[in-house]
Amino acid sequence: MTQAEIIAALLAFIALPDVSEAEFEAMALKVFAYQFRNNAPYKRFCLQRGRTPLSVRRWRDIPAVPITAFKDLTLSCSPPEAAERVFMTSGTTQGIRGRSYHPTLDVWRRSMLVNFRARFMQGRERIRMGILFPDEAELPNSSLATYLSLAKHECATPDSQTFINAAGLDLGGLLSALEQAEKSSEPYALLGASYSFVPVLDALAASGRRFALPEGSRILDTGGFKGQSRELGPDEFYDGLSAAFGVPRSSCINMYGMTELSSQLYDDGNAACPSVKSGPHWIRSRVVDPLTGTDLPEGQRGVIVHHDLAHFNCVAAILTEDAGEIVPSGFKLLGRVDGEASKGCSVAVAEFLAAARG
Amino acid sequence: MIEHAGHLPGLPREALRWREVSHRAWGESATIALPELDEAQAAALCAHVRDNARARLKRMETARIITAIDAAIARLLDRAHPLRQKAEHLLPIVTGYDRETVRLGLTGYLKTFRKPQLLRFLAEDFANPGMLDGFQPTPKGGYLRVHGPELLLHVWAGNVPALSLWSLICGLLVKAGSIGKLASAEPLTAGWFASLLAEIDPEIGECLAITWWKGGEAAAEPVFLRAADTVMAYGGNETLTTLRAKLPITTRFLPHGHKIGFGVIAREALDSRKAPALARLAAHDVTRYEQQGCYSPQMLFVESGGRVSPAEFARHVAQELAALASRYPRRALSQGEAASIASWRGAQETRAMDGAAELLGDPSDPWSVVHVAAPEALSPTGLNRTLKLVAVESLDDVPALVAPYRSFLQTAGIAAAPERLFRLSGQLGEVGVSRIAPLGRMTAPEAGWHHDGRFSLLDLVTFTEIEQSAETAAEGFAPYVD
Repeated sequence: MTQAEIIAALLAFIALPDVSEAEFEAMALKVFAYQFRNNAPYKRFCLQRGRTPLSVRRWRDIPAVPITAFKDLTLSCSPPEAAERVFMTSGTTQGIRGRSYHPTLDVWRRSMLVNFRARFMQGRERIRMGILFPDEAELPNSSLATYLSLAKHECATPDSQTFINAAGLDLGGLLSALEQAEKSSEPYALLGASYSFVPVLDALAASGRRFALPEGSRILDTGGFKGQSRELGPDEFYDGLSAAFGVPRSSCINMYGMTELSSQLYDDGNAACPSVKSGPHWIRSRVVDPLTGTDLPEGQRGVIVHHDLAHFNCVAAILTEDAGEIVPSGFKLLGRVDGEASKGCSVAVAEFLAAARG
Repeated sequence: MIEHAGHLPGLPREALRWREVSHRAWGESATIALPELDEAQAAALCAHVRDNARARLKRMETARIITAIDAAIARLLDRAHPLRQKAEHLLPIVTGYDRETVRLGLTGYLKTFRKPQLLRFLAEDFANPGMLDGFQPTPKGGYLRVHGPELLLHVWAGNVPALSLWSLICGLLVKAGSIGKLASAEPLTAGWFASLLAEIDPEIGECLAITWWKGGEAAAEPVFLRAADTVMAYGGNETLTTLRAKLPITTRFLPHGHKIGFGVIAREALDSRKAPALARLAAHDVTRYEQQGCYSPQMLFVESGGRVSPAEFARHVAQELAALASRYPRRALSQGEAASIASWRGAQETRAMDGAAELLGDPSDPWSVVHVAAPEALSPTGLNRTLKLVAVESLDDVPALVAPYRSFLQTAGIAAAPERLFRLSGQLGEVGVSRIAPLGRMTAPEAGWHHDGRFSLLDLVTFTEIEQSAETAAEGFAPYVD
């Protein structure tokens, strides 16, 4: 398949209302064959595992690349210098940024929009939005900035605003928008990085302000706190959002996405935590034993693997560093998988890296 | 059955609070009760040990202490002795190491503390061990005597069986009143040994105590930290930093941080006859205690140009690791440990995608070997039988590759001809390596080893010196003075 053909096939696949296991498998194997042929480092990885498009018959057997590989390698089926857009991770943990190359954003945008409409807009054409993250023009390499800008462009009313830019948070602007929204009967949507909400919550708590946004209002947070703000436990966080904005926890939706994917996963609100995450029909997630890569049964904790067919230009199968467990309607996200210090007196990686950083 | 850990002279078992911890491995389980002392009990224990050491231990001849230790070790070496049988039964369940590893490890390690070896410990550090018992003349004139700490606190860490005996015995040899804090991961051997000593020589048994507390949390901790005049501590840098900050400035602090071991293999050791045997020895060092020891190798630097190439040698090592895995099965890993291996393997696979590394062993194998053809600096692996072999053009390249990590260096296993052994040892010593061992012996230091390049006994003691002129002056006050 050529690049044009795989793009056309994927756009058609995303447009389907739903797919069967067999249909997903067939498309997954096509994407795998395409990536095996065009992505040289990935091909070596697969050969090392003894897996080729000839030997792999099930989508679950497609080799998943450890997410750290995006930091060290150029994983692209097309010349990286010709990419329309390169998304980079924030590099908060180790200083090296993982990269995803997109020769076109057509598939990425379609994947985002179809799914965003289904999971966040829930039948509304447009909603007034307040966005707590810099926009795409400011952060062109941020997949989240691009995501939120696209959401605003396609799904927001004209009076929607972005409240964070290079100068920081425009708290005054946000408060007056919230006041207006409170007075109107039109639902309001607040969207942003999880850590962007923390200073807002702190400011509201300090001044004793609370809002009661109209019914149908909703909140979308994503990405956790990443050391950008103080860490809050999920219950503390969603209780805080609910109390500050008058939005029930069941309307506080967490989006789980990553630079190394082209699709996002959502929960159906956070009335109870950890919530159950799921994605659209072109992404499937597994929970595996981190050592052997074999699938774990429902309810058993392991490491999450995503097979995101929309991520056609890099690698569709990704072994994350997130812990999770499979449940009937998706998976529960249980934090990060952390390596362990030695049980004896040998030095392990974390301590060694800490010392090397000084 | 519940096994009560520790040795607490002067404190009746019924008067104490015990925390029960369950361990499970190899299809069996065991419950260990760890003592939790309150502040008053801790203070009483410190006073008991210090007072008894002052009154008894410090007045004993070293020979008597050695005889008692030797007798205790002899019992622990006797596979028919009930305590040895208990150790062979419980230690695999508590530490997770397989029975054979524990059995062989215990015997090999305990042998270092028989009487002849204990005399070697003394001879290593003291020109005249008689200084422990009384003033001895010195070559420059005058007299010297050494005193051990009044109260020596050991803070142990890690799950390597019986590791605590090293510092505990060193403390006894210098007649220190000793209190040991057990490691949660191996809370048994030190207490057994202390109780055995108490049975053999009850007076000595009053001069040492083995206890436990939750580091950083227990109310009793400050009591112990204030009472000790010397603290010997094992653990990661973070733990040691926290501990040091809590000690009075006058306390002598002897930290042993986590270390990373490595091997170096010269081309002359790489012919078709020697290489397989050497690979077996390297695999042994990796397997023993699952690379949890400070002396365990995590990386091997292999010189190119021998008849067996570094890549071929990596295959030999992989083969030997596979063979050892059936005789000494790997410990069951925790999620975090499995994640460490997976993350390390993932990083190596990424390198392999670039063609820069070759990864041997399937993810499901209980071992992994990676071989890289270009020199790279020392770095930890995922532990639990994960080894990296790095090809180097010349042994002379190795010191620069490990030099940046001076504070983590300790043991290097070297396979090279004598002249090159000394040359490389000199270079490695300059960058911080303190112990050179042959492959196959990396995890079994000799008796009297200078742990982390320091003195096992000398670092514990204080000298009292009678200057020659003082003796001369004293003559003037003698009853027989003319």
